[in-house]
Amino acid sequence: MRVLVVEDEKKTASFVRKALESEGFAVDVCPRGDEALIAAGTTPFDGIVLDIMLPGRDGLSVLRQLRAQGNRTPVLLLSARGEVNERVEGLDAGADDYLPKPFVIAELVARVRALGRRGGESKATVLCVADLSLDTISHRAQRGGKFFDLTAREFRLLEFLMRSAGRICGRMSIIEKVWDYDFDPGTNLVDVYVKRLREKIDDGFEPKLLQTVRGVGYVLKA
Amino acid sequence: MTIRTRLNLWYSIILCGVALAVVAAACYHEFVIEKRHHHHGMKSESELDSEDLIDILTWTVTPAIVLGLAGGWWLTRKALAPVSALTQAAEKIHERNLSEQLPRSGNGDELDRLTEVFNAMTARLDGSFQRIREFTLHASHELKTPLTILRGELETALHDEHSSAAQKDRLASQIDEIERLTKIVDGLTLLTKADAGQIALKCEPLRLDELVRESLADAKILASPQNIEVRLDHCDEATVAGDRHRLRQLLLNLADNAVKYNRPGGTVKFSLQRDGKFAALKISNTGAGIAAELQPRVFERFFRGDASHNNAVEGCGLGLSIAQWIVTAHRGEIYFASAPDQLTTLSVRLPLA
Repeated sequence: MRVLVVEDEKKTASFVRKALESEGFAVDVCPRGDEALIAAGTTPFDGIVLDIMLPGRDGLSVLRQLRAQGNRTPVLLLSARGEVNERVEGLDAGADDYLPKPFVIAELVARVRALGRRGGESKATVLCVADLSLDTISHRAQRGGKFFDLTAREFRLLEFLMRSAGRICGRMSIIEKVWDYDFDPGTNLVDVYVKRLREKIDDGFEPKLLQTVRGVGYVLKA
Repeated sequence: MTIRTRLNLWYSIILCGVALAVVAAACYHEFVIEKRHHHHGMKSESELDSEDLIDILTWTVTPAIVLGLAGGWWLTRKALAPVSALTQAAEKIHERNLSEQLPRSGNGDELDRLTEVFNAMTARLDGSFQRIREFTLHASHELKTPLTILRGELETALHDEHSSAAQKDRLASQIDEIERLTKIVDGLTLLTKADAGQIALKCEPLRLDELVRESLADAKILASPQNIEVRLDHCDEATVAGDRHRLRQLLLNLADNAVKYNRPGGTVKFSLQRDGKFAALKISNTGAGIAAELQPRVFERFFRGDASHNNAVEGCGLGLSIAQWIVTAHRGEIYFASAPDQLTTLSVRLPLA
């Protein structure tokens, strides 16, 4: 998979490149918006990681121009956290995903990989990870023949984690996807919910599925 | 004593003094004439003259004094009216409308000149405030890039197979601190933008009671590790015109606050009532509260109460400042009340839609 990273901050670009390359991506880095537009027009990339604040031409304008030219390459937009307007504008302009800065690299890698699978996302109504299963219609979860009652929020959290099984989920993206909060709530809400969920699905079972990735977030995997 | 009263007083003293002097002079003159006539034995005529004179004085000097006083009163009023107008206009100035200028008469008199100087002063203040705002805005924006880099570098090192467990522990703890710094920078950015009027609310009719019930569920979860009971005492149906995201942020902020500053095993009480044209929301907790002299400062940025006691409480110190901004932006009011051995309550009043 070949990815274009458009980021003017050298150090950020460098660790994003390293992280993506170590996961087997071919990475091109471009520090300017106008140059990125030319590069995207001449090379068929499988995905573009696009910063908003760029010299030459800002990310949103690059994105609009790309879409106007009929270029459908999936785009992951990077922007300052909490800029609700930028997020809405970005998605309107045709971005496929959005990640607020400062981001978790593991998450960036996971999302770039997901860009390649866009559209192919699992539509299954029953999600399974190891012996844990979640019925998204009846909202019932079971593991090893034992059923659990989930609150609405716990259900959404488990569904999100199961749909991204094997991928690391940062706290901010859990907050965004499960709570639909655009802001950092400044609380340990996610950690408390995860703890409760873990008591339900992992207590008394082996192996533990819901794992903490220190400093990053959580991952659900067998 | 106002300048006007003082001027009027001085003016009436002078007027009365002058009048008295005139009367005294007239009397003295009369007395001398009378003496001279007395010498010449022509008493009757002079007596008649003196009575006439007193009459004339009474009927001319008194109205003159009255008219003079009335005229003086009117004159000082007219002369000082622009000063009152200036005072009233200056009273309305605060840090948010410094760019507004006081209206000038344009006639070039002393007061016009004073207004001009005054306007120039507020313009300079406005400039300074704006520069401070821009500085904070730029500072918080500029801080994000190094934070992103730091976080990225640390995370890369954390996933390096060559790092030992002890190193990974240190790295993770550093990432936690970066997260905290990021929260502070985010909060500051939000508040600075709000100060500069750069945040537009997307208002729509919202059922506040539904938002309260929703945040109650989160509050219960947040409170569960410390066995704090969360109750909803009263929940009237209330529709307000508000920004959904911001109001959810407000409710979560207040709920989090009520849990954080509570004692283990305590209680958090929510209540939402309709009160005239307002929705009155109250969130109380059984925490230790805040000393009366510190209460006016709870909404200040980075205010942490008694710092030595609250070290254990995690947070960026901007939660209530953000809450206050959200309420004010919705044209509402927020109050803090706390007393020893009583509930600590945050009350929010939002206008009903």
